[in-house]
Amino acid sequence: MISMRIGRRGAALIASAAALSLMAAGCSGGSTAASTQTSGVTITVALFGAPPPQSSLDAFTKSTGITVKWSTVDWDSLQTKIAAAATSNTYFADATDVDWSRVGQEGKLGWFLPMEKYIDEPAYAADMPQLDSFKSSGHLVGVPFDSSFLVTTVNKKMFAKAGIATMPTTMDQYTSDLQKIKSTGVSQTPLNIPFAAAEGLSTYWYQTTEAFGGTVLDGQGKPQFEAPDSAGYKAATWMVNALKTGLVPAGNINVSDSQGQQTLMAKGVVASTFADYSGNLGSLYEVPSSSSVAGQVEYLPTPGVSGTTANVSNPDGIGIPKTAKYPQAAAKFIEWFTSAQNQADFAGANGPAKVMPGYFLPSRLSGLAKLTAKGNLVGGKELTTMLKSSKPVFPDGAPTWYPQFSNAVYTNLHAAATGSMTVDAAMKAIAATATSLSSK
Amino acid sequence: MTISIRSRRRPTVGSGGGELGRRRRRIDVLPYVLVTPLTLFIVGLALIPAGFTVVEAFFRIQPLNPPDAFNGLENFRQLFSNTAVKASMGNTAIYVVIGVVLSTVFAIAMAVTLQKKFAGRSVLIAILILPWALPGVVEGIVWGSIWDSNSGLLNSVLSSLHLIDHYMVFLGQHQLLTILAIELVQVWQIAPLSTLLILAALQNIPNDLYEAANLDGSSAWSTFRRITLPLARPGVTIAMVQAIIATLNVFDQPYILNGAASTGASLTMQTYFISFQNLNFGEGYALSLLITAATLIASLIVLKFVYRPVEF
Amino acid sequence: MKQRTPIARRLGIAFILLWSLVPLYWAFNISLQTDAQASSKPSNYVPPTASLHNYASLLFGNGDLAQSVRQSAVNITIECSAATVVTIIVATLSAYAFARMKFRGRNVLFYAVLATMAFPAYATLIPLYQILTTFGLVNTYTGIVLVYVSGFLPLATWILYNYMSSLPIALEEAGNVDGANRMQVLWHIVLPLARPGVISTAIITFLFAWGQFLFPLVLSSDLSTQPLTVVIASLQGRHLVPYTLLNAAGVLALAVPAAIALILNRYIVSGLLTGSVK
Repeated sequence: MISMRIGRRGAALIASAAALSLMAAGCSGGSTAASTQTSGVTITVALFGAPPPQSSLDAFTKSTGITVKWSTVDWDSLQTKIAAAATSNTYFADATDVDWSRVGQEGKLGWFLPMEKYIDEPAYAADMPQLDSFKSSGHLVGVPFDSSFLVTTVNKKMFAKAGIATMPTTMDQYTSDLQKIKSTGVSQTPLNIPFAAAEGLSTYWYQTTEAFGGTVLDGQGKPQFEAPDSAGYKAATWMVNALKTGLVPAGNINVSDSQGQQTLMAKGVVASTFADYSGNLGSLYEVPSSSSVAGQVEYLPTPGVSGTTANVSNPDGIGIPKTAKYPQAAAKFIEWFTSAQNQADFAGANGPAKVMPGYFLPSRLSGLAKLTAKGNLVGGKELTTMLKSSKPVFPDGAPTWYPQFSNAVYTNLHAAATGSMTVDAAMKAIAATATSLSSK
Repeated sequence: MTISIRSRRRPTVGSGGGELGRRRRRIDVLPYVLVTPLTLFIVGLALIPAGFTVVEAFFRIQPLNPPDAFNGLENFRQLFSNTAVKASMGNTAIYVVIGVVLSTVFAIAMAVTLQKKFAGRSVLIAILILPWALPGVVEGIVWGSIWDSNSGLLNSVLSSLHLIDHYMVFLGQHQLLTILAIELVQVWQIAPLSTLLILAALQNIPNDLYEAANLDGSSAWSTFRRITLPLARPGVTIAMVQAIIATLNVFDQPYILNGAASTGASLTMQTYFISFQNLNFGEGYALSLLITAATLIASLIVLKFVYRPVEF
Repeated sequence: MKQRTPIARRLGIAFILLWSLVPLYWAFNISLQTDAQASSKPSNYVPPTASLHNYASLLFGNGDLAQSVRQSAVNITIECSAATVVTIIVATLSAYAFARMKFRGRNVLFYAVLATMAFPAYATLIPLYQILTTFGLVNTYTGIVLVYVSGFLPLATWILYNYMSSLPIALEEAGNVDGANRMQVLWHIVLPLARPGVISTAIITFLFAWGQFLFPLVLSSDLSTQPLTVVIASLQGRHLVPYTLLNAAGVLALAVPAAIALILNRYIVSGLLTGSVK
């Protein structure tokens, strides 16, 4: 009887597109026709972060006549909502999150309107290095509104304390430096790897694979990490060994990406996070209320095999769902939201009143330039250099089956970390998943 | 879900007294008027959606692989060849065993504690039902800070008592330990109801049985074994059935406390991944149908082996 | 019971108290600390400098976080209250018909209602979503309340049916003889007698509604209808919400159901037992 607590999370997410399509056939789904109207309408924008300051939104309303209703939904729930609304052909927002990893899937399914119809694509491409990550089946699914990429952060003070004068540029140096920090007792557990079975573990592995000089999948979606001398295999071995040799805290088996950044790196428990998030310096490590290591952490050009390596990008995008009521108005909002001036403002170029909480970095080079010119970006110079050379995880775009692949990546890497399977078996299991998915 | 066990009050025609003022030879419309709102709700918002679910379990419904088509038992075949699903079946079986055993044992202990009247008993009952009344979402937050490996309560207490020399990892490392820790969180929520159900059964035991046992010089333990436990069977049965339903459908606790890791992933979590991550809705439905069937079967097994009618 | 030593009972009482209260105390304890205090080793078993700043920033801050906590607290109150009222009215009418009247299809309907309790409600989420969409009820109080009512009606009807069936029919017959019609009998005789049952059902319904997470997550798109539970769960996904603040938010969401459970536990106990042991 008490199972009547309906709505135990997720379980309930057992959704049927067909129930929907059958019903839709019977009663036409109920999605209202989209309107090209802009002035005088109210659009809903659903993203996973806090909204821009109200004063900025008011200014947008004043200049365009479009009122913005902002809806904050956590990332996981938001992906669920996007799928539920799209499969049942129902409206839930006029503009919403397009994650780089879902571009393939969402593009193929046609869940988003082609952005190239609403914006000047070449102009955007020239200013947004990561725009390519949002193309699928020849269409632009969304536009990156920030430029998040993976970057190595180090606690310089701890490195110095362990007697390390020159910072590492190769994986070998980096690893021996960490061992030195451990052996000198500066930190018992100098490295943070978030081994919880979640998306953050997958992206950490992609960056580490990049550092070992290879890619995860080739252009056809074929796995590249089965051979023991492949980069992905070496990366996984390195990560699991770091945990086994005690460089990584044992408790990290259950620590997620943001948890590790907040409770380990920001509290001075660890000395480095190899695949950290760009922007964490300004939004987390340098903020006294959330960090006890202000002034000690820096971005480090990510070590590679024989020198520094490229940084893997994981930008957040925004697009117009196919069920939007006011696509034209949504497009106007997206143009405004991703303008160079606003991006610089959101990131703090012009004082705290204009900051959008939790905003990473401008996705436009011109926005980044405005920001660094003001000198208000912590570690801005390094980030700008890295952004220019950052590259997507999948050069040909994320495959349609990416979510399933990533699930195999993080569950198997996690299992290898717990010791319930070998790295070799984990790599084989992930490869088997990729092979069967790409051949479908 | 209600299990009506040989109910002395079966909802059959004319039960619960007579009927009132029914005129003959004319259709009596009043009862129909009275049940119309209920009927609308149940048919429109429960039966019709449930019907969809049952039907769709036998269709291929993959937006990435159109068109939708009838495919018989293919969804079920796919599920049984899926390693993640098979691992979750094992995990879920462990959840059910640990959850049902622990919640029943705790509930019997707590019900026996409350069996006799004493000063403050009603306050204690109020405190007892607290965990049952709280939103499930919050449980994960509350218990997360108990199991935490960096600053959790349990680690702190154990090391203060010098039982461990360094902080331990309770979640995610060992399958059994992980499942035990996660399931304890669920037991925390379901044990209060089990206790109430068993307590109600204990209240029905005539006191003279205990007095007779006392005169025979029976020890407390043997009285408990010979009188209390056998006569509490009806309550224990219902308590176990509700525990089975809850544990077979466990989702929030493993998802919040352990992520998608195979050390603790449950079957309902797989329905979520299959439906919303892999966009394979037909299989998602098929799996939830299997979980429903498993729930019914497990409940019937408990009924058969635990339940005995009690006559006083 | 003389044969059970008070020691055993004392142990039992201690177990119940610790079991129920320690986790709740712990969350409360953390919510009164600063982030640094909460991560100390060993933990602080009492807050070193108890401060309500986490609660203040959740309730009275002027950021969007406080705004969403306040708005969602209003939403959850409206949704739970409305769902409770509608459930009680519909369940009372049908329980009366089931308990006191004969009509064709009565048993079929009765068992159909009970059978819906056996089917896991979560398996019907998306069809429900679709039905609500068709009628334009997604992201409205009405839509959420309708779904809650359909979910809680079977249990509510069942509890009230049991209460009404157990009432002595003589009183109602007396009313009948006095010339009162059946609705008057329901209003003036049955309902006053069944009041404890109605209160129990109302409280249990309210608590269930308060505990909902997934249905409102999918059925409400934005802050105009999102209940507190959904907003709190989304805190975990937000970038940089301190651990202590999360615990404070959790305690806020617990406060109302905990108060109800402590003050009105008698009704909860009798309602649950009526709904399951019969």
